[in-house]
Amino acid sequence: MTRTEVGGADPGLRLDGAGYCGAVTRSLDASLPVSAGPWRTELVEVVRAVSGGLLFGVPLLYTMEVWWIGSHTEPGQMLVVLAMSTVPVFLLNLTAGFRSRSDVRLRDAAADTAEAVAIGLVVTALVLVMLREITLESPPVEALGKVLYEAMPFCLGIALATHLLRGGRIQPDDEESTGEDESSGKPDDRLGLPATVADLGATAVGATFICLSIAATDEVPMLAAAMSPEWLLVVVAASLAVSYAIVFVADFSKQQQRHAHQGIFQRPLSETVAAYLLSLVIAAVLLWFFQRGLTPWSDGLGRVIVLGFPATIGGAAGRLAI
Amino acid sequence: MSRDRGRSTAEWTTFAASCVVLLVVVGLIVVQMFGTSTSPAPVAEIRMPYRVEAGAFHVDVAVTNRGDETAANVQVSATLEIDGEETTADQTIDFLAGHATQHLVFVFADDPGGGTLTVSVTGYSLP
Repeated sequence: MTRTEVGGADPGLRLDGAGYCGAVTRSLDASLPVSAGPWRTELVEVVRAVSGGLLFGVPLLYTMEVWWIGSHTEPGQMLVVLAMSTVPVFLLNLTAGFRSRSDVRLRDAAADTAEAVAIGLVVTALVLVMLREITLESPPVEALGKVLYEAMPFCLGIALATHLLRGGRIQPDDEESTGEDESSGKPDDRLGLPATVADLGATAVGATFICLSIAATDEVPMLAAAMSPEWLLVVVAASLAVSYAIVFVADFSKQQQRHAHQGIFQRPLSETVAAYLLSLVIAAVLLWFFQRGLTPWSDGLGRVIVLGFPATIGGAAGRLAI
Repeated sequence: MSRDRGRSTAEWTTFAASCVVLLVVVGLIVVQMFGTSTSPAPVAEIRMPYRVEAGAFHVDVAVTNRGDETAANVQVSATLEIDGEETTADQTIDFLAGHATQHLVFVFADDPGGGTLTVSVTGYSLP
């Protein structure tokens, strides 16, 4: 089965006679440098998988009921949960997946499924460690149960990574301007707004969208209370790294355009930092809005940083969506 | 680009590492399936010394489930007896996984060192 994507005529496009309806297809490797080696390509694809998983899985990571359910799950139930994570991922890999190349054979889809589920399990475990829901004192059975349940949406996000995010912004009427922007490096002003304003607005909307379902819950103060200042710094670093990876490494959408944008907030590092600070502001506003308490300042800061992690992921998704 | 030209060495490496992760996870689950598991057995212990905060005496208590299975709604009671007068405090732990430890703090107005303090698990449910 071949994945196709509707696109216009640019150097990254090619005709694929085996594609659906004979449509013009776009090489999904187009935004990678031609000289990118297989290891670099593989690294980008794994980063894309992690990013897709985070975009879809982070809300469930902030749900204490799932932690509890995972902590008292029977081994037989764990196998069922693992199977429930695997089957839909396999089906999605036949049409989407996280790789830039489509799966022609079933065994390729099966291999990608194994990779998607494994990446989902590992990243879920790492995020739960970061959130202090898994510690060195956690019994292995409890940790395993938590990871298996929390990894379900993660795995689905990995399997949907290219389908929903990478091609989402490529529309037929965008192609001409897309080509011009990529060649000239001009800011993306399709919405009639400067690129910086559009990016900050999209970051705010995306962060609000993700955090609305999290900010009002007890999980945020609970997680923040369990974190030392050192762990809060880890969360800050992870938030920045994830934001950068989603927008500038995972090759989801218009990545080359973003690298070419001009302006103080249109460079990858400065945009990542600015977007993170805005995500923290959105997190603080939502915590205040839901009366979750921002005082004393040390407690409030911890809560803002903890909520800032999903806010940053939502903000990155928002920038991909415009 | 289709996958009919085969996987690169990098992709095979990712696949091999993924298989190792999945085998470890499935192995851990299977070991639990065929291993013996004991019923929940939560036990409460006082962690010394007491702390004095804002004029009150804070007593750290560790509740450990020495069984393999999870206990739910674990009721923990602390009783301080001084000169025949008892002060009792209760707390509940929602879920306590097998071999997991939860730390609680009981607060008393009187010095526990001047009397007899006992902590105990008074009950739990099976989830």
